[in-house]
Amino acid sequence: MPSELQLELVGEQVSILAEKALYWPREATLFVADVHLGKDSAMVASGIPVPLTASVETLSQLSSVMNLTHCQRLVILGDLWHHSLGRTPRIYSEFLAWRRRHIGIDVILVEGNHDIKSGRLTEEANVQEVPECFSLGPFSLCHFPQRCSNGFGLAGHIHPAVTLQGKGRQALTLPCLYIREDFAVLPAFGQFTGCGTVEPTGQDRVYVFADQQVLQVA
Amino acid sequence: MGTLAEWLSENPERSGSLAKRQDAPPLRVLWITPLRALAADTELSLRLPLEGLGVPWTVETRTGDTSQSLRKKQGDQLPTVLITTPESLMLLLMRENAEELFSGLRCIVVDEWHELLSTKRGVQTELALARVRQLSPLVRTWGVSATLGNLDQAKESLLGAGNKGAVVRGYAGKETLIDTVLPKNISRFPWSGHFGTTMIPAVIEAIEDVGTCLIFTNTRSQTEIWHEQIVSSRPDWADQVALHHGSLDRETRDQVEADIKSGKLRAVVCTSSLDLGVDFSPVDRVLQVGSPKGIARLLQRAGRSGHRPGVASRVTCVPSHAFELVDIAAARQAASEGKIETRQSLSKPLDVLSQHLVSIAVGTGFRAEDLLREVRTTLAYRDLTDEEWHWVLDFVVRGGEALRAYPEYSRVVLGDDGVYRVTDKDIAQRHRLTVGTIMSDSAMTVQMVNGGRLGTVEESFLSRLSPGDRFLFAGKLVEFVRIRDMTAWVRKATKRSAIVPRWAGGRVPLTTELSHAIRTELEHAKYGELRSPEMETLAPILELQSKWSSIPAQDELLVEQVETSEGHHLFIYPFEGRLVHEGLAALFAYRISMNQSITISIACNDYGLELLSPEPIDLHSALQRGLLSSQSLAEDIIASLNAAEMAKRQFREIARIAGLVFEGSPWMKKSTKQVQATSGLFFDVFARYDPENMLMRQAQREVLERQLEQSRLGSALVRLRGSKLLVTNPPKPTPMAFPILVDRLRGTVTSENLTDRIQKMSLRLEKDADL
Repeated sequence: MPSELQLELVGEQVSILAEKALYWPREATLFVADVHLGKDSAMVASGIPVPLTASVETLSQLSSVMNLTHCQRLVILGDLWHHSLGRTPRIYSEFLAWRRRHIGIDVILVEGNHDIKSGRLTEEANVQEVPECFSLGPFSLCHFPQRCSNGFGLAGHIHPAVTLQGKGRQALTLPCLYIREDFAVLPAFGQFTGCGTVEPTGQDRVYVFADQQVLQVA
Repeated sequence: MGTLAEWLSENPERSGSLAKRQDAPPLRVLWITPLRALAADTELSLRLPLEGLGVPWTVETRTGDTSQSLRKKQGDQLPTVLITTPESLMLLLMRENAEELFSGLRCIVVDEWHELLSTKRGVQTELALARVRQLSPLVRTWGVSATLGNLDQAKESLLGAGNKGAVVRGYAGKETLIDTVLPKNISRFPWSGHFGTTMIPAVIEAIEDVGTCLIFTNTRSQTEIWHEQIVSSRPDWADQVALHHGSLDRETRDQVEADIKSGKLRAVVCTSSLDLGVDFSPVDRVLQVGSPKGIARLLQRAGRSGHRPGVASRVTCVPSHAFELVDIAAARQAASEGKIETRQSLSKPLDVLSQHLVSIAVGTGFRAEDLLREVRTTLAYRDLTDEEWHWVLDFVVRGGEALRAYPEYSRVVLGDDGVYRVTDKDIAQRHRLTVGTIMSDSAMTVQMVNGGRLGTVEESFLSRLSPGDRFLFAGKLVEFVRIRDMTAWVRKATKRSAIVPRWAGGRVPLTTELSHAIRTELEHAKYGELRSPEMETLAPILELQSKWSSIPAQDELLVEQVETSEGHHLFIYPFEGRLVHEGLAALFAYRISMNQSITISIACNDYGLELLSPEPIDLHSALQRGLLSSQSLAEDIIASLNAAEMAKRQFREIARIAGLVFEGSPWMKKSTKQVQATSGLFFDVFARYDPENMLMRQAQREVLERQLEQSRLGSALVRLRGSKLLVTNPPKPTPMAFPILVDRLRGTVTSENLTDRIQKMSLRLEKDADL
């Protein structure tokens, strides 16, 4: 059973979901980052033979967590698409089908560096594209992690992970949610995405994702 | 050579100089060399006699270093004698006019074949030669090789499966002397480590009185440290001591080689980068730092010294920690008994074959049946099954099983005329760049902010640096500034740092022959027979080992159980070389973890392996349950190497060669970030959606065969089962255990629930303050 943990961010109750998403009940808003749809098809389009399953699975997992939370709004903190090369008609139509399945839900996308390389979304996508530091209640929506003057930053881009160590010279590197004093960095939601290890300091809060569980380690 | 003699007899009148390109005959002789570095010297060596004889032939080189303008001219007409690398040869064969270019070829010479023989580049060479023979059926092939234990097989791999040929041996009358710089105070001599700082004064003494000295080390990191230590001790020698290794910039290496020739240098600290080559330099003395690792290797290096008839070859060994004294004594003993290693050709690696197919498709194109027949003439692919061939063909055309439902994928295309070709220009260009990947590491260029390139360092090392971090590289102390444009920029550092980059692939294991010789030496020591000055010097440490634990006899398997603040250690000593130990460690850890919920951290070296866990391991019940059993060995090994992520690591190389992972070049115009993913990600995706993928199976097979030397692992287990078990409980880690204990490369095998593990662990919060 995938787990979730409650925590408080800038006075708001939020849940961290093991599916690598953040849920804000007061406004029924779900936050994810770095979906990278079409990374697999970008590879295939360049002659690199990789199974074409990651993008479709990612959309399916996104639907699953949207249904689970009954969210009214989905915020994507950048990099929804990976690259224009990978935005094939096949996968774009899967994306539109996914969008139609959740027609009653508002979708906001903060433009990330990969979105710029992927081209503008069509009207049919029905996605509200917003710039960095877009205000949403007490939060400021970003792609790049930064301190925003208009709220507590929620960002992605880094695909954060941390290394844990244990007795017997053990080490484990796991994707995480990384919370600093005035901003938080979400893990990459997309399948087939890599990680960037971060090294937290004293006051930071860190939650790792492993095996359908989310655990606090700092 | 026949061709030359033939030509000379036909042309009795000759002028005194080499001809111009247009007057000279087109390609007649192809000389293949494994290293670009050797090409220049080879060119010189071939030019001189031709000039002397007044033969109007052109002699040129073509490698990755050749200028664009020369390449263009060569593309239209090749010189009479062409010196090239296997990769550059392959690129030439990919040209549309390949048939025309090679039509006049009469003779191929492959230099240093023993070096290429047991590698993927050797297989690539076999395939290229098969293609050349197709284009020029009259060609004769010659190979030049150092002494091997299996010259006949080496010959067959070069000439093609089933071809007879002859072996010509040189006069082998030279004597080889192996001696050692012994540590003066063994009680101060470290039990582990490779940087041997205590030996520096002795080494300096050794090189003081000679003209030129080569100091071989076993890794690039060691080269950097030793060079720095020598120059720090003797600043007056700063201009006379150089370093040379494969990750240094081409210009730097060329300069060092030129300086050796001109006698400017007193010493060069190097890796195997200076192992090969024609006799280009008057080297008076050769030093080997650290374990020789193999007998043939040591003898070859000794042979670099004293190049005059009648003068003996000599190598002086410098141990960097205590037990290396045993390695040295054993190597000398084995050398005197003529026990030299063999080298095996690899068996049908499919990643190399798939790269080859795409190469031919980019060039002239191919018909399936014809190419299959050609490929089967090589020794490496003599036993290629139809199923394997069809898989590779399907892989390069359709992307394999995983992409069966996606017709828009294409790399190689079958035309209406029945010929397979690559038609997309971008794919063709990217492929040309990958042809050299069998050679290169995933390295990034390091360059001075206000100056030149220093060389390359592994990306994994550089990506972990922060601005201001200092490290030693190319003999300089540098400070990391930033990474931009796929280059790591550095500036001169003022404060000292002990950090040296680590390069993967530097750890050569002990050969079977040397391991065997070491076990023999130790057995003699056990019974008080110290047969050499090295063993006598080691006596106090051997005594300590005996007192705390034991010294194993040849028929004994020593196991040490020790508890420290780190946890519970189990040290096991099979003496089979680090690669087999990696496999045994993973296997043991896996088998143990099947019977108790436990996480085991594994480490090993050439002597033995360590299993470390927070809780004690029940050794006796593990043995009872078949720890050393050969039953279900194949399945257990595969399960264990997946558990220890060894197949995933091996997949890196395969992913690169098969063209899944692509490393961009600094001068490429298009960004390639959209097609970059780590091989680890590919591995995970394949493992989930296409586990039967032949590349995955190849990764497993390669770990088993090459890395773990599966048959060696299997016979090791049999031997261990037949040995007398000797379990000791030393109060502290013993001299034999110590080198394994401090080894940083560790794997983990676990049967614990991930959540449970996480709850026992803690976050690594702060970096080391002093880097």
